[in-house]
Amino acid sequence: MELILSALKSLAYVLIFPGFLFCFLSGMLLCGIDRKLVARMQKRVGPPILQPFYDFFKLCGKETIVPAAANKVMFLMAPLLGLASLVVLQLFIPVFQYQIPAFAQVADVIVILYLLLIPAVSIILGGASTGSPYAGVGLSREMVTVLACELPLVLVLLSVGKVVGAESDGGICFSMTGIVNYQLAHGSLITHAGLIPAAIAFLLVIPGETGNHPFDAAEAETEICEGMLAEYSGAPLGVFKLNHAIKMLTMTSLFVMLFFGGIGSGLESLVALVGLTGTAARVVGMLLAVLVLFLLCVIVTAVGISFVHAVTARLKIEQIFKYYWTVVSGLALLSLVLVWYGL
Amino acid sequence: MKYIDLLNFLNPQHFPIFAIMLYFLGAFFIVLFGKNRIARNCIAFLATGLSLTLLILLVKPIFLDGGIIAYWMGGRIPAGGYAIGIALEVDALGLFFGLLVATAVFVSCLYSFSYMSEDDNEPQYYTLFLMLAGGVLGMVFSGDLFNMFIMVEILTFAAVALTAFRNRVTGALEAAFKYLVVGCIGSTCILAGTILLYQQAHTLNLAQLATIIPNCHGTNVTVAFVLLFIGFCTKAFIVPFHPLAADAHGAAPAPVSVLISGVLTKSGIYGIIRLTFFLFQMMNLGAVQFWLVFLGSVSMFVCVTMALAQHDFKRLLAFHSISQIGYVLTAVGLATALGASAGLYHAMNHTLFKGLLFLCAGAVLHETGTTDLGKLGGLSKKMPWTTVLFLIGAASISGIPPFNGFASKWLIYQATYEKAVETGNIGFAFVTIVALVTSTLTLASFVKVTQSVFFGQLPKECENAKEVSWGMRLAMSILAILCTLTGLFPNAVQKFLTQPAARTMYNVSQYIDGMFQKGYAVQEMGMSAPEAAAVRFETVGVWNPGNWLILLLIALLSICIVAVASKYDAVRQNKSEKVEAKYSLFYGGEPTEFSQVGGGDLFWGFKHNWRHYFSFMHDLHSGIVNDYSLWAVVALALAMVYALIVL
Repeated sequence: MELILSALKSLAYVLIFPGFLFCFLSGMLLCGIDRKLVARMQKRVGPPILQPFYDFFKLCGKETIVPAAANKVMFLMAPLLGLASLVVLQLFIPVFQYQIPAFAQVADVIVILYLLLIPAVSIILGGASTGSPYAGVGLSREMVTVLACELPLVLVLLSVGKVVGAESDGGICFSMTGIVNYQLAHGSLITHAGLIPAAIAFLLVIPGETGNHPFDAAEAETEICEGMLAEYSGAPLGVFKLNHAIKMLTMTSLFVMLFFGGIGSGLESLVALVGLTGTAARVVGMLLAVLVLFLLCVIVTAVGISFVHAVTARLKIEQIFKYYWTVVSGLALLSLVLVWYGL
Repeated sequence: MKYIDLLNFLNPQHFPIFAIMLYFLGAFFIVLFGKNRIARNCIAFLATGLSLTLLILLVKPIFLDGGIIAYWMGGRIPAGGYAIGIALEVDALGLFFGLLVATAVFVSCLYSFSYMSEDDNEPQYYTLFLMLAGGVLGMVFSGDLFNMFIMVEILTFAAVALTAFRNRVTGALEAAFKYLVVGCIGSTCILAGTILLYQQAHTLNLAQLATIIPNCHGTNVTVAFVLLFIGFCTKAFIVPFHPLAADAHGAAPAPVSVLISGVLTKSGIYGIIRLTFFLFQMMNLGAVQFWLVFLGSVSMFVCVTMALAQHDFKRLLAFHSISQIGYVLTAVGLATALGASAGLYHAMNHTLFKGLLFLCAGAVLHETGTTDLGKLGGLSKKMPWTTVLFLIGAASISGIPPFNGFASKWLIYQATYEKAVETGNIGFAFVTIVALVTSTLTLASFVKVTQSVFFGQLPKECENAKEVSWGMRLAMSILAILCTLTGLFPNAVQKFLTQPAARTMYNVSQYIDGMFQKGYAVQEMGMSAPEAAAVRFETVGVWNPGNWLILLLIALLSICIVAVASKYDAVRQNKSEKVEAKYSLFYGGEPTEFSQVGGGDLFWGFKHNWRHYFSFMHDLHSGIVNDYSLWAVVALALAMVYALIVL
């Protein structure tokens, strides 16, 4: 009986919150807000905020064409694998103090770093399976972008782990729960002087990881016909678009939890102030936390993705690589050195 | 009386020598009866299979009960304080490497049955194959330094001959010659080191040396250490000996590559561990730790970048092999229990996934006749099994969760960063960074292989390729299953395999007592026995692949159900018809023609930024044996200077 109950519970986590349904709705919404913001910054009217939903359902209604030369299984499975891995990844990112205890013991930040690779690998495999030369060029660029982002990400995560560990027990801390709990107790990490360069570096990594402008050489529509997506149509294409939207949510919420996790500390007292107790307090607090997280994600998207998109032109792939391994990694390295010597 | 003898025969005490003997007897019988194909295959199968079984039977007494088997040939037990008989000593560390050897040998023997069936001189192949296997196993179990040298010689010469086995292949003889020359420099170093130690300690028994050498101080001992160390480095192909491996793997048949990368390099690593942890017991010195970690990090980074520049499937795998050995050396060199356990774990995983990848490369070569990445493509439709198995291997080596490469690399990151924080030395933090970046570069390299061999467009020359025979698929599947299992249950692997082995590395007195009698180490060394209980294996991070996989499967299954219910699947055009425009690839309006994006053209953005480094490396790797011998001598000289200054 207990087993069935716990199975149902994890099913609910995976399918509803913080899993599939939550990812779907908030990712798509984030994507819509991003498009609207970019349009407004460029003095266009822009699409309605719900446009990504319309696009997705329209694509699902279209015919799926599998190229004759493609490996059909890989072609159709790749988007689904990417989606599943992103949904599961979202489970390991806590929502301030409201985290699912069962999942805290599954993965730490280093694992998250690696799980972030799976969606990239799935789109690469999907593109490669078509045999299209555009996909070949696209996957080459996608892989280089992933490589470019990896070094700054590693440096940022090591710096965060060092700070949290040193302050709590003199060691290191890689657990996401540990990092968030530390911030709830001691205030957000962004207030830690040594980590400010790391936060900026992470903010700059977000558009690279999600493949947004100006780091979208891998999917350059005007140049290589969306690269790996060149042969995709119908529902699989829709799922890839969805993956992109969810990845925006994942990266921004990861940023919020790594550097602004302390904001959640006021929520419980706020709920108590209203006079709620017990389960009601927990539910209201959780809803509030999700709302706050989403708002913060919108702000991060506006600053880190939309604004950058609006004011820059697409970079060439070797420029992307150089930029990340010099400027962004430099910032992150500065942070690591600063926190290492106790700043 | 007879009955008691038989029981004695089945005593685990005898299993190590039987395991070694089976290989050599197999080699001998194949020379005698090898003309007949069935007899030959039976002998090889029995020898490798029985050896593996015997070693698996040793798991209980050695890993679980923590015992040590010391075996004196001909009953010549030490008398008068001197151990001059030939001894075997198997502790958890030795058995760990022994198991790796036996598994790799067994699987690659299974694969050879169909893979080598079209070659002539098959009896010679199996003879050399079993000699190589016996050499490595003998070296790993040997209880004295001189027999280690003998076994190193046997394995080196068997490996050289096997490298040149397909001597009609361009470069095979050249590769074998290079290997012979530099390998001999290594063997000579080992011999010279052995002589110096004998002169110093008047014994060659490892356990007895371990009681004498740490108390000797002097130039002789330091020089002997460096000689032995460099000797074992050549066997493990640590930088600067890496070009040999690339040539050897490029020319050798695939099952031999499995042995060279999965088994032979392990013997080098084993030698280094025995040397630094047991014989000289100098892993507590910062200078030695730095040395190992530095060599390991350089190996992993240099070789992964070399691999990115390759356009031959097997050469690429060869460089990756050394890159992964770099991880092992780095982890072991940290001199922490967690590091040792992580390093051994990675050594095991390396044998499994590298074996799998080499077998896949062999399958591709078998079907298409080439391993040039520029000439292959689109094989996933012709060889679906091989593709899936290759993807498992590639995911394992690139550290994609939940396969085994990730589990061990993750432990290595933890170990290096913990060491950095414990010692306050930021250098170890950079090691973590190098390891993480190397892992992503490995992924990039395998994306390249996937695109240019299994996906992409099918060239005309490869149209006749078909799936390989079931025997080859079986061998590959065994390794793929092991890759998945060891990745899914990291806690079990650590608890039952790597941690007992790592614990022996920190309990030298147990090894010494195992060879002589209890209390010998304390009495001879005049110091208290090292505390076995001080060994710690805690990690700060968490990784639970089983739960993660369950979550992923739930997500994937539910998404698939939704997808299938909403007509996600598409009806594909019938293959026999002429391809309609709708189903053909998009070429931007140009006429359809073959336009595969080959391996050499990928990752331009990366290579462009690193062009100076790549052209420097290109010039450095001249492919001339004189240069490589020079590197070996320079490496020896540098190591000698370093050791004489700091030790």
